[in-house]
Amino acid sequence: MGLLDVLRGRRDLKAPAPDRLFAMTTAYVTLDTELGLKTDGAAGIVFQALDTADFNQIATDMQEVVSATSSESGTKIDTSDDSFGYRWMILRDPDLEDLVVGLNAVGGALETGGYGDRILCAVFPFRDRTGGKVYWIYNYKRGRFYPFVPAAGEQQRDNERELKLKAQLGEELPVEPELERWFPLWDIPI
Amino acid sequence: MMAMARRRKIGRDPGLQIRMTLTLFLLGVVYAALVAALLAAGVGAIVVGVIAGGLLLLQLFVSDKLALHAMGAHEVSPQEAPQLHATIERLCVQADLPKPRVAVAQTSMPNAFALGRSPKNATVCATTGIMDLLSPAELEGVLAHELTHVQNRDVMVMTIASFFATIAAYIVQFGFFFGGGFGGDGDGGDDNVSGIALVLISVAVYIVSFILLQALSRYREFAADRGSGIITGRPSALASALMKIAGTMERIPQRDLRAAPSELKAFYIFPPTVKQSLTNLFSTHPPLEKRLAALQRLEAQLQGTA
Repeated sequence: MGLLDVLRGRRDLKAPAPDRLFAMTTAYVTLDTELGLKTDGAAGIVFQALDTADFNQIATDMQEVVSATSSESGTKIDTSDDSFGYRWMILRDPDLEDLVVGLNAVGGALETGGYGDRILCAVFPFRDRTGGKVYWIYNYKRGRFYPFVPAAGEQQRDNERELKLKAQLGEELPVEPELERWFPLWDIPI
Repeated sequence: MMAMARRRKIGRDPGLQIRMTLTLFLLGVVYAALVAALLAAGVGAIVVGVIAGGLLLLQLFVSDKLALHAMGAHEVSPQEAPQLHATIERLCVQADLPKPRVAVAQTSMPNAFALGRSPKNATVCATTGIMDLLSPAELEGVLAHELTHVQNRDVMVMTIASFFATIAAYIVQFGFFFGGGFGGDGDGGDDNVSGIALVLISVAVYIVSFILLQALSRYREFAADRGSGIITGRPSALASALMKIAGTMERIPQRDLRAAPSELKAFYIFPPTVKQSLTNLFSTHPPLEKRLAALQRLEAQLQGTA
């Protein structure tokens, strides 16, 4: 945001950064073989569901298109709205690459409809060898990933584990460098 | 291409931009006149400038902590206020902001404000009253309004914009000292006249810049309302929140208002003094009807009906 924009108090919603979602596909090799983190067979994309006629139309069309294309790969899709008024589109498929392709289709459809700036993030859940849950979250506005590891207890996260994950995967994923932007997402439905 | 077109359409309010730019320009003219007057008066100007500059820095770097303390607000952890934190976090992702500190003030007065000189040093504070009063969507609208203040660096802009008004106020207050000082060692004459002229100019600068500052504050308020509507995509939720707050404000006794430091007023979501005894010219916030009308226009733009 430039000085002139600050002086004039101008606000634009930031458009999504150049798409780096597919970095997850290559990074998954390391996640799987070296870190023992396996995909939980699901991935989600979160966006603001605007209550406007054309948005509802775009969302319905998008769901149809994505269902049609993903049925070839066997991906299942369902949607749910969370208590903060955001919509989750959840894709289920044992193959991570199919999940990424599916998420990309959802994001692409929203962007084509002119609502790309309403997408918040994509969420990839993983399971470690002991069955513990680890998330990688992709922030569309920033085009970067960050780890999110919920810990036992109310709204607690395992920062040590998260920082370790950053160190382990920083080479392969575009990881968010600013820690104050590692926003948690509580009550992730996957 | 369609995306570009949409963003252009809802992101702009040219009239507001023009009025805000004009106000900033006029403020600049007024301050230039003051600087000219100070220089004409001689040495005193530098002293005044140094003192005021120090105060400005103090204001920028310490005032947020003082203000929070004065409001009886304290920072809360995600465990203490999970809903508030989660709502702000989602809005920060959407607005592409780093997460501000989150504070809560224990008061029944429904209000919210943002402090801090830059997005990296910001605090967003909500009162327990506003959290009880509003629905989650309405609270989200209010918090997005405050986050827009943070993003627009309104605290910084208003502090710097009022810099010279502060100098003028000091000259008015210590006017006789300066007036006497200038004429002290000689036999009066020209120096004394310029001292008096300086005080008079300062009075004029103070009055004019005060009115312009209030106007600037109102425009930035409109801009924050608009920004909130754009971030959440739900301008009507903010409109509904403003109506609820206004409705409650009128029933809340004045006792709470006096407890709030007046210089904080400009950063509230809603001004604590709703009595219409002051004319629009002297108020930091636009009248409720105008804010609601502006939000309604934004909603119409989002719905594609305008």
